[in-house]
Amino acid sequence: MILFTRRAPRTMKNSSALLSLLLVAAAPTAFAADGKLVIEAGKVVTLTGDVIENGKIVIVDGRITAIGADVDAPWDAEHLDASGLVAYPGFVEAITSGGMDRPNENVAVAPFLDVRDSIDPVNTTFENFLRSGVTTLNIQQGPSCVVGARGHVVKPIGRTVEEMSVKPRSGLVLSASPSRGKSRATQAQALRSTFADLKRYLEGVVAETKAGKDYAKREAMYQGREPDKESAKGRDLQCSAWDVEGMKLVPRWEIDEKQAPLLSLVEGKIPAFIYCSTAMDIRVAIEIAEANGFLHKTTLVVSGDCDRAADLIAERGIPVILTGSLTRSELDEETDEVEDIFLPEVYDEAGVRFALRSNNSTTQSLAYQAARCVAHGMSREDAMRAISVTPAEILGVAKRVGSLGVGMDGNVVLYTDDPFSVKGVVQHVIIEGEVVYDRATDVRVRHLEQGEAPDNTEPTDPEAAVDDEKGDGEDEKED
Amino acid sequence: MITTLALLSLSLPVTADPAPGADRLVVFAERAFTAPGEVVTNAVITINDGKIVSVKRNSSAGSADLKAACVTAGLVDMGFRYSTNQNTVEQSSEITAAARIAPALDLHARVWERALRQGITSVAVFPVDRNVVGGQGAVLKTGGDPTLEARLVREDAFLRGAMGSLPSSGNRPSGSRPTNFYSRRPTTRMGVEWEWRKAFYDAWQEENRGDADRPGRAELLRALSGETPVFIQAWATQDIRTAVFFAEEMAAEGMGTMRLVIDAGAEAWREPNLLVRSNAAVCLPPLPAEGRTTENAFMSLDTAAKLHEAGIPVALSAHAGSGSGNTLAEQAIYARRGGLPFDAALAAVTTVPATLLGVSDRVGTIAAGQDGDLVLWNGDPFEFTTRPVGVVLNGTVLVGGDTDR
Repeated sequence: MILFTRRAPRTMKNSSALLSLLLVAAAPTAFAADGKLVIEAGKVVTLTGDVIENGKIVIVDGRITAIGADVDAPWDAEHLDASGLVAYPGFVEAITSGGMDRPNENVAVAPFLDVRDSIDPVNTTFENFLRSGVTTLNIQQGPSCVVGARGHVVKPIGRTVEEMSVKPRSGLVLSASPSRGKSRATQAQALRSTFADLKRYLEGVVAETKAGKDYAKREAMYQGREPDKESAKGRDLQCSAWDVEGMKLVPRWEIDEKQAPLLSLVEGKIPAFIYCSTAMDIRVAIEIAEANGFLHKTTLVVSGDCDRAADLIAERGIPVILTGSLTRSELDEETDEVEDIFLPEVYDEAGVRFALRSNNSTTQSLAYQAARCVAHGMSREDAMRAISVTPAEILGVAKRVGSLGVGMDGNVVLYTDDPFSVKGVVQHVIIEGEVVYDRATDVRVRHLEQGEAPDNTEPTDPEAAVDDEKGDGEDEKED
Repeated sequence: MITTLALLSLSLPVTADPAPGADRLVVFAERAFTAPGEVVTNAVITINDGKIVSVKRNSSAGSADLKAACVTAGLVDMGFRYSTNQNTVEQSSEITAAARIAPALDLHARVWERALRQGITSVAVFPVDRNVVGGQGAVLKTGGDPTLEARLVREDAFLRGAMGSLPSSGNRPSGSRPTNFYSRRPTTRMGVEWEWRKAFYDAWQEENRGDADRPGRAELLRALSGETPVFIQAWATQDIRTAVFFAEEMAAEGMGTMRLVIDAGAEAWREPNLLVRSNAAVCLPPLPAEGRTTENAFMSLDTAAKLHEAGIPVALSAHAGSGSGNTLAEQAIYARRGGLPFDAALAAVTTVPATLLGVSDRVGTIAAGQDGDLVLWNGDPFEFTTRPVGVVLNGTVLVGGDTDR
């Protein structure tokens, strides 16, 4: 229980709030079902609209209902005085394996798995995300696979995955880079055969159904029914790259659970995130996605020297998520000079839409990564976009998160100063209208920043613990 | 031999590939942070033959060769930890006080250039962890001709060793006891500390008895008397305490007052008074993610700020020579985020290390007579949104210079 309260919303005042929270747990968007909150910020940066001085953000039932300098607030709303703070939309982590029990599976093709079974809601990773102003994150399996598990877009608060959920089954990861001990040729072939297998499987299912249908037809005629007039339960394959005749005959629920997510992928119903660790992987990724009709739903998760293929990526209009280091050193063989290449700059100049990821060797902060782009000459707006609007678009949740506007989720981060400055830190995080983080009560920030030992790590008096367990509130030593 | 070369390099102007007319360089900066606490606006810095000859305020850039928003002195990383190969610490004995790092340095290695590109122009190099007393550290420039003559700023700048578990790690043979001749000692923290004391007591007694000289004794005695500083690596509190108590014991015995520098003192924030009492300085390791460093020591974000407040000289380091991927400017940013004032952050990567290394008459500040080592920034230094865009070393532009970037 102690574990749970640590992650519970901090503004929760009474048990009825807790009860309502439990009752609505199945409907994730209703996290703040009866909450009305007005944030009065010194400055509101919406990212898509103007910067509002002394602005108000009104959040009702988890959604923003009004935003501006002079807007009406419900008479019974809770007020959060943030006059000394700057409001930003919560940042969006485009892809991460943080918070998962372990990031990779042993099975090479595992679309039948779901990361929801692997997410640990009390993992400290989620606290770290909150502390750095991330309110939406796309949890996906790591790159050690051919086709990985189904991902899940979550917010970093909640005691169960259902409470955390923003968008379940938020895509599949594929890897164009081989896992350890395998060659690139094997990896590319494994990807191709995964979809060849899918096609063969679907054709087999159709054939079986047809065979079965002939039998059913004869039986129906014998019984005097007209089977052709009975409505078909299936529907045509909606893949733009290839077709399987007769899919209409097969009800979708009859599709094997291993193949069903792949079918969703080739029909363009879910996004694909393809890991690429060198420029040559890009070609494979594009080939696979194009040959199976999901290029328009593809995002490349790039690292290493993928920037060499930036023009190719731009040509195809594919967005990318930058992982790993933001700089790469390249040796000019002729001059023997080393050049530092700042990767976001390369993608930006090529015209590739990109999202940043928060990890570097020391910090886990999207704002820091974006600030480094500014140091290399990118505009503040473009840098900010790469940690908010662009990742939200990539995840297909841009109408809900990534900027501040009426109708969007009430996800607000209140900074003490410019997020790109040395002094700017996250003071409050509001997710769907609930104040879920307050720096003043963050024990771990005091540990990391001031060295104070976190709770429950100092040696305790065992006798005191025994007394407490009795729960009678009396100090027995006084007797 | 090397000492002679070092002296030569001191007396001769250092010029790497002097192109015609390249012995004079004029740099204009909207703001020059000439020393901690000192800013010259619209500064024109003139460098002649590798040395700064003047820093003047001027209304315009005029015909300056280079222009930048801001300029600082070249950064100094006193915890460089050059370790591109395994040959940077002698292990034939636990105490190799006379060992000099210079012969182990590959000046063609990429690591120097990488340091230079992030604005580090001077570094302290020393034998790393695997010995109790590794030997003598030196101060080098990171650029210029790849020869010791051209790059050495100061040979035998300090004595360097380590407390803690690292000097003894691997000495215990796996699966058996370290009982035979071939097992190296020490095998515990106790043994490491004992080696320190034994080395210094022996050197002192031999000297007082008038015994015949042996290699290393002079180096130990110079460290004991405070003539050269002693850098003792101590990450965790227990090892910092051991180092301080060791120095205090030597003083109490009347053997000498050491100038103690705690290297990689990640946990120095826990007991700053101990360091104040012993006049020790601290060189901090790069800030790790989640605070955990080597030896399980915990380094909090405000470590540098706390030490600064306590009046302890604090230098920052990126361990840039170990391939850590950290930059020194980044360390200054993190220290500022932890509450270290700007001037103290600037000092921690320029004047403090330069002073501790005994090279402040050449590097660490921008003033007439100092080496022409400058870092050009595209905005205020030590901010997340700025970076070094140019580096001048001994009056030669070695990095960038393209003012548009």
